[in-house]
Amino acid sequence: MNIRERIKERLEGKILDWREFSTRRIYFSVEKEHLFETVKILFKELELRFVTASGLEAPSGLEIIYHFSFDRSGEIYSLRVFLEDKKNPRVDSITPIFPGAEWIEREIWEMLGIDFTGHPNLKRLLLAEDWPEGKFPLRREDEP
Amino acid sequence: MLKALTKSIWVFHVSAGSCNNCDIEILDCLTPRFDLERFGIQLIGSVRHADALLITGAMNKKSVPRMKKIYAQAPKPCVVVAVGQCALSRHMFRYSYNVEEPLDKILPVDLYVPGCPPKPEAIIDGIVKLVKKLRSGK
Repeated sequence: MNIRERIKERLEGKILDWREFSTRRIYFSVEKEHLFETVKILFKELELRFVTASGLEAPSGLEIIYHFSFDRSGEIYSLRVFLEDKKNPRVDSITPIFPGAEWIEREIWEMLGIDFTGHPNLKRLLLAEDWPEGKFPLRREDEP
Repeated sequence: MLKALTKSIWVFHVSAGSCNNCDIEILDCLTPRFDLERFGIQLIGSVRHADALLITGAMNKKSVPRMKKIYAQAPKPCVVVAVGQCALSRHMFRYSYNVEEPLDKILPVDLYVPGCPPKPEAIIDGIVKLVKKLRSGK
């Protein structure tokens, strides 16, 4: 059984939408409540490698995409999580599973204001020391 | 006084947030193909020995105080060279949240080398013009 089928089988019921942009770029999304468990399955059981995460702001909410690579076949699986609550965005930290996610979560936190619950060391990474608290450079300010 | 610096210019290279492209072109100038080292132009490890400060990259909020500190440590008189469009005018980072002023509002710039990145020929041409200007004493 190839990795695509194994992921589909193992995460059955959690996957919200599955899109294959090419043979090697696959996107799927899960509910944010299932994120921690899903990442654990992908990393520990299916042995995918965490590449990075990207955070972005959409008109209706905030989105984090966790990119995983399966190096044996060269496929990239991108796991999307959508956060509707723009005022108080909150999601589970995946740093307890692998420390490689620590810095990217810190960066997403300071740039977009997404709170990662369970992160061991959530503090500024890149912004200047005198940057005002509660202002997030990659968020649009003109929206309510 | 600056005229005395034109013989073998020791350059201290500051990357104030560049993307590394300008820095590679600078390296190109110094390595055998263009070989500015023949004329005594050398990169050095400490700003306290520098005749010229070579700056690349857009000045961001974190690099500006460090830049000022480095400039204060340089022996005066000292020539400031801005290489690349970012150092000149902030280029595509003009409206960025992190980049407030172009370099020449922060330090007195003597030579501007535009380009993204500037070719080694352009950098060499800039140096020739600067040396000519310093020697003429204007």
